[in-house]
Amino acid sequence: MRRSLPAATVVGVGLLLLVDYVVINPTLAAIADLVLDWVVLLAAAAALAGGAALVLRHSAQLIEARGERAGSVAVLAGVAMVLVAGLYPGSHGATDPAVRWLIAALLAPLIASLFGLLFFFLLGAVRRVTVLRTREGSLMLAAAALVLVLLMPIGGAAGDWLAEAAGWTLAVPIGAAFRGLLIGIAIVTSVHAARVLLAVNGVEE
Amino acid sequence: MTAGVDGARSPRAARLATVAVIVLLGAAAFARPGDEGGAIVLANPDRSRVTELRSALAALPESPAVLIGLDGDLGTYPEIRAVVRTAFDDLLARGAGLAFVSFTPEGRAVASAELDRLARSGVAAGRLLDLGFVTGAEAGMVRAVTDIVPADATGALADAVREAGGGMAAFNLAVVVGGGDLGPRTWVEQVGPRLPSLPIVAIAPTFAQPELAPYLRTGQLVALLATLRDGAAYVASVRPTGTANPDRVPSALAMLIGMIVALAVIGRSLAAALGGGGQGVATAIEADVGAAGDGPEPSAPAAATPS
Repeated sequence: MRRSLPAATVVGVGLLLLVDYVVINPTLAAIADLVLDWVVLLAAAAALAGGAALVLRHSAQLIEARGERAGSVAVLAGVAMVLVAGLYPGSHGATDPAVRWLIAALLAPLIASLFGLLFFFLLGAVRRVTVLRTREGSLMLAAAALVLVLLMPIGGAAGDWLAEAAGWTLAVPIGAAFRGLLIGIAIVTSVHAARVLLAVNGVEE
Repeated sequence: MTAGVDGARSPRAARLATVAVIVLLGAAAFARPGDEGGAIVLANPDRSRVTELRSALAALPESPAVLIGLDGDLGTYPEIRAVVRTAFDDLLARGAGLAFVSFTPEGRAVASAELDRLARSGVAAGRLLDLGFVTGAEAGMVRAVTDIVPADATGALADAVREAGGGMAAFNLAVVVGGGDLGPRTWVEQVGPRLPSLPIVAIAPTFAQPELAPYLRTGQLVALLATLRDGAAYVASVRPTGTANPDRVPSALAMLIGMIVALAVIGRSLAAALGGGGQGVATAIEADVGAAGDGPEPSAPAAATPS
């Protein structure tokens, strides 16, 4: 019973949404909309719970003087800044100029800077591959070098040829690999969904 | 970083080389290439992607309502920012009203900043609509297909969308800006089958190109700009060389220098990994990584070398 109830719920909701997807029926659509509303509410509640858990965890770390205290202070200060900017009396919430400033002038440049450092981290990773000396690593490096050459921003006839070769590479070998991946993911997802709907042994565990 | 080949490399030389690369890249970032036909050209000479996008925009009716699904990632958004802003300008020049919706928190942050920028740049309030952040990931997106306008939304565009049913069907085009978890692929999967009449175009960072290209071929995306070079070509087509362009694409010269540096490091590492003439280099790199204390012991991986 303990296991069959969640499985039955999943099967019921799955079938309802599947039938609503292929059959046009106002009553069915209304029920499906209601279920979707519940999912949206659950997701919102999960996001809130996640935020609260993060604050509690870092608060506890600070109080008990364990872990990286500087990091905990930074997390809590960041949360406090955004909450104060979005909730002070008269605030416009997420569209308040203070919140927008925090995002545009503080958060976005910080994340973009971290992303910019990726270039140097990747070069470091390339050197580590050298030390590991694996065939897969060498293959990856060769592919990376090929992609770099194909995407070089040079003009003239050489640039035209490189752009053409890059287009072919993206459309044919890389495109084929990604199509295979997408189709594979779709098949596995469908099989798993079917196993859930049919309550095949082992799925609900 | 790349100095020396015979093992007599000092950490100081490596640090100096790293600083030199950073300074060089920093200087190159501010340098601009000459005309479009110069030796260094970022814009892709193959303009087919640009033509597809411009054809999709040209097919819009007069004063169209365009839904902007802005779910960029704050890390990769700088790569496509100039293209996205150029697309906004292109759409506004065609008389479009832009409604922004986001399904990820990061996308919401980007959308909020872009709405603020457009409002400050003098775009009439009636032509912009903030549909906010929709929670619930895919479920929220499916819900938004039939009901996307928040209860407190006001303005001419909000009223027009409500009159047309209040869902995504009220729009003439969806422009999806990807990079985050819920990007163009999710739109194609969740919105496409429910609203086959709504054309979807996508702008995404380069890493998403292989994932999205199949949808372009099947027609589920009517246009896709997903490489920096295609983006630069689009920007050049909307804003010809010499016109005022506050949103510049990344510097082609900086990119080229970065690529050459990366190629040098990869080539050196490949030579070392493949053995042969690169044995001295491998020893030097092993010593370097080992000295930095951030890699495995030099002798250990050598034993694991495949035969």
